[in-house]
Amino acid sequence: MQFIILFTVLVSTYLMIIAKRTPALIRSFRYQSFCLFMATFIIALHEHGLVLYIIAALLFILKVVFIPHLLYRIIKKIKASEDLGLFINPQLSLLWALGFTYLSWVFSARLIGPDNEVKVIMLSVAFFMVLTGVFLMIFRMTAFAQIIGLLVMENGIFLLASMVSGGMPFFVEIAIFFDVFVSVLIMGSFVYKINKFFTHIDVNKLSRLRG
Amino acid sequence: MLDTLLKQFFIFDSLSLFFLGVIFIISLPSAIYSLGYLKGECSFRKIILSWTLLVLFVLSMAIIVTISNVFLFLVAWEIMSLVSYFLVVFDTTHEKSIQAGTIYIIMTHIGTAFLVAAFMMMYKYAHSFDFVVIKNACLAMPAPVKDSIFLMLLVGFGTKAGIVPLHIWLPYAHPQAPSHISSIMSGVMIKTAIYGIIRFVICLLGVNSSWWGVLILILAVITCLVGVIYALMERDLKRLLAYSSVENVGIILLGLGLSMLLLSLNMSYLAVFSLMAGLYHLINHAIFKGLLFLGAGSVYKATGTRDIEKLGGLIKRMPQSAVYFLIGSMAISALPPLNGFVSEWLTLQAFFLSAFNSAGGTRLFLGICASLFALTSGLAAACFVKAFGMVFLGLPRSHYAENAKEVPLSMKSGMFFLSLLVVVFGLAAAGIIKLLVKVSAVAMNIDIGSMSFSLNNFTLPAQAGQSIYLSVPMLASVLLVTGLLGFVAYLLFNKGKLVIYNTWDCGYYKLGPRNEYTGTAFSKPFRIAFSFFLLPYRKTQKVRESFYHIKSFAYETRTTFVFKKYVYGPLVVFILRSAKFMRRIQPGSIHLYLAYIFSTLLLLIIFMYKF
Repeated sequence: MQFIILFTVLVSTYLMIIAKRTPALIRSFRYQSFCLFMATFIIALHEHGLVLYIIAALLFILKVVFIPHLLYRIIKKIKASEDLGLFINPQLSLLWALGFTYLSWVFSARLIGPDNEVKVIMLSVAFFMVLTGVFLMIFRMTAFAQIIGLLVMENGIFLLASMVSGGMPFFVEIAIFFDVFVSVLIMGSFVYKINKFFTHIDVNKLSRLRG
Repeated sequence: MLDTLLKQFFIFDSLSLFFLGVIFIISLPSAIYSLGYLKGECSFRKIILSWTLLVLFVLSMAIIVTISNVFLFLVAWEIMSLVSYFLVVFDTTHEKSIQAGTIYIIMTHIGTAFLVAAFMMMYKYAHSFDFVVIKNACLAMPAPVKDSIFLMLLVGFGTKAGIVPLHIWLPYAHPQAPSHISSIMSGVMIKTAIYGIIRFVICLLGVNSSWWGVLILILAVITCLVGVIYALMERDLKRLLAYSSVENVGIILLGLGLSMLLLSLNMSYLAVFSLMAGLYHLINHAIFKGLLFLGAGSVYKATGTRDIEKLGGLIKRMPQSAVYFLIGSMAISALPPLNGFVSEWLTLQAFFLSAFNSAGGTRLFLGICASLFALTSGLAAACFVKAFGMVFLGLPRSHYAENAKEVPLSMKSGMFFLSLLVVVFGLAAAGIIKLLVKVSAVAMNIDIGSMSFSLNNFTLPAQAGQSIYLSVPMLASVLLVTGLLGFVAYLLFNKGKLVIYNTWDCGYYKLGPRNEYTGTAFSKPFRIAFSFFLLPYRKTQKVRESFYHIKSFAYETRTTFVFKKYVYGPLVVFILRSAKFMRRIQPGSIHLYLAYIFSTLLLLIIFMYKF
């Protein structure tokens, strides 16, 4: 079961890499978050911990329902182009992503050791997600990609914490959720403002703001 | 509780106590002096600020010389640097202060960086910041590590002490601070660097190769000569004093370097002797340089200018200050029987004695050092003839000097106290030497129970190999008697021949401020003699109406600051250029910045995979 979920996470991350339009990216993010929710929920079922149920529920509400919804609404509101603005085309991005997968696998194999294969795969998927998040932030032009990239990184860290080390302390987890929630709100309003001032949300063109 | 804390973090051996004494001897009169000096100069709130900074400054220096923990030493060192920076820029109305402060803070932090590096290397071997542990760890340190620590300490402390070519900040920062602060900075602050060298190199690290002492000696000789030559050329009174501080730090380092050399040659008696000479000059310099800075401050307070060419004739307008300045000038020119004479004489004797007791190259080297040191003393005397003569004698060269008034009592009392010390430290040399020998023996951890250092009987030669003899009171009385006899003879045989005439007129009849002898003219022979170093240039500009009639004539002469032009100028240009080059990696694109982070991450992973 765990492997299936990890595999779907991987696939959804690949989908993000090849996405050309913002709604597709958000949709893939939704799939990814849902997979994470499933994984957490299954662990909760196994261990019957109230804390884990709460975390799973928060995950579902925040990352599967609220944040994608908010982003969709902003897209509709600002009426900007749905194009993500790619520095690197989908095919080449996919190649990069394959490279990342290999790299993160090698990295986690070295880190954990070859005998514990389950953990190696978990760690490499988590690490791959973090790398992909940064990749999205760098090679996509619009501010939406930056937000989603950050969220993907956060998902990766969540996966890392919950599956490799059995979850972070409850209060830390709550704090992180709150953090993500607030940061998405702030970044959303920033995107809104940037669009208002510059009539685009292309981060690439903000370089003339430097001192 | 307090007792254990004191024992844990402080040391009060005689070396520390000696420096503590130096600090308070100079700070006290300077503080009293500042009462009058700051009155009317700035607002009440600023006076309060100046007192707060002064107290912090003195306190930080006191901590520096007594602390026994490297980490806390650095903290106190940094507090001292920062507080002195604020004192340099205290006079915010002048743009020059800001510039001087900037140069000072950059240089002092370069020095501190070297100190931090050296201390970290010590920590690596000792795993503790405590002096005692470090001292034990240094015994087991490999020689190359010791050498590099020594070099870093030398650069670090040398920056603060003003060793050439790291002296660049000193002539900017010292004159710009208020005068009582200049006197503390020049008199005491640069001495904390000497303390650092003694404490960390001689006490903790331990001298293990003779080239350390040789290096310090070479640097010291260069420092002496460069300092005094620049001082001779200077026309700003306080900058002249600052350059002279550079020179005197060189003299102190001569004693210090000689003792390190002798220590590595296993000549412990002379090592103690020469360090004692260095320490003696240290306290003497603190006293008379403090006095001279206070005197220069009085001149500044009374006239509003520090330009020697605009002063003159002040001896009639402020006679007491003139006497104090004269005493300081005589002391720094090493005239007997004042204190500067004793310490310079002792340093020279240390050189001669060690040259007599060594052979071959060492002997030659020490001889050369001694001769260059003697040259320095002579030039210093010339320099202060210029300083005193041009400021206090002759006719006033501008309205600044004409309207001068004697300074208030608090300023005079500060100077009086230091003048008294100048005389006392000259006349009581025999007793002070005995005290300082103990300090220097503690610093080098040498047992002096079997040695005798008294100068008033002939016991010194037994161990030194040559006989030397000095009795300052006797010298003083001989000078006094000769002077009196000369005066009596003058009164007896010269009556009736006395002609009262215009000052410095020399038969010219109409000498005015504009055609009077000036400081620049006085220093011209030296400018020519040292032209290979000073690289003077002159610019003349004639505007002719016809061949026979010149309408106007402009003449300008300057000396080139070799270190500024050929060392620091190119360095600054290089740094600015590379900074401009580095700016290219900051185009302002968020994507690029993220890419930097990302590629670093990837590289680190690949790096980990490789190794």
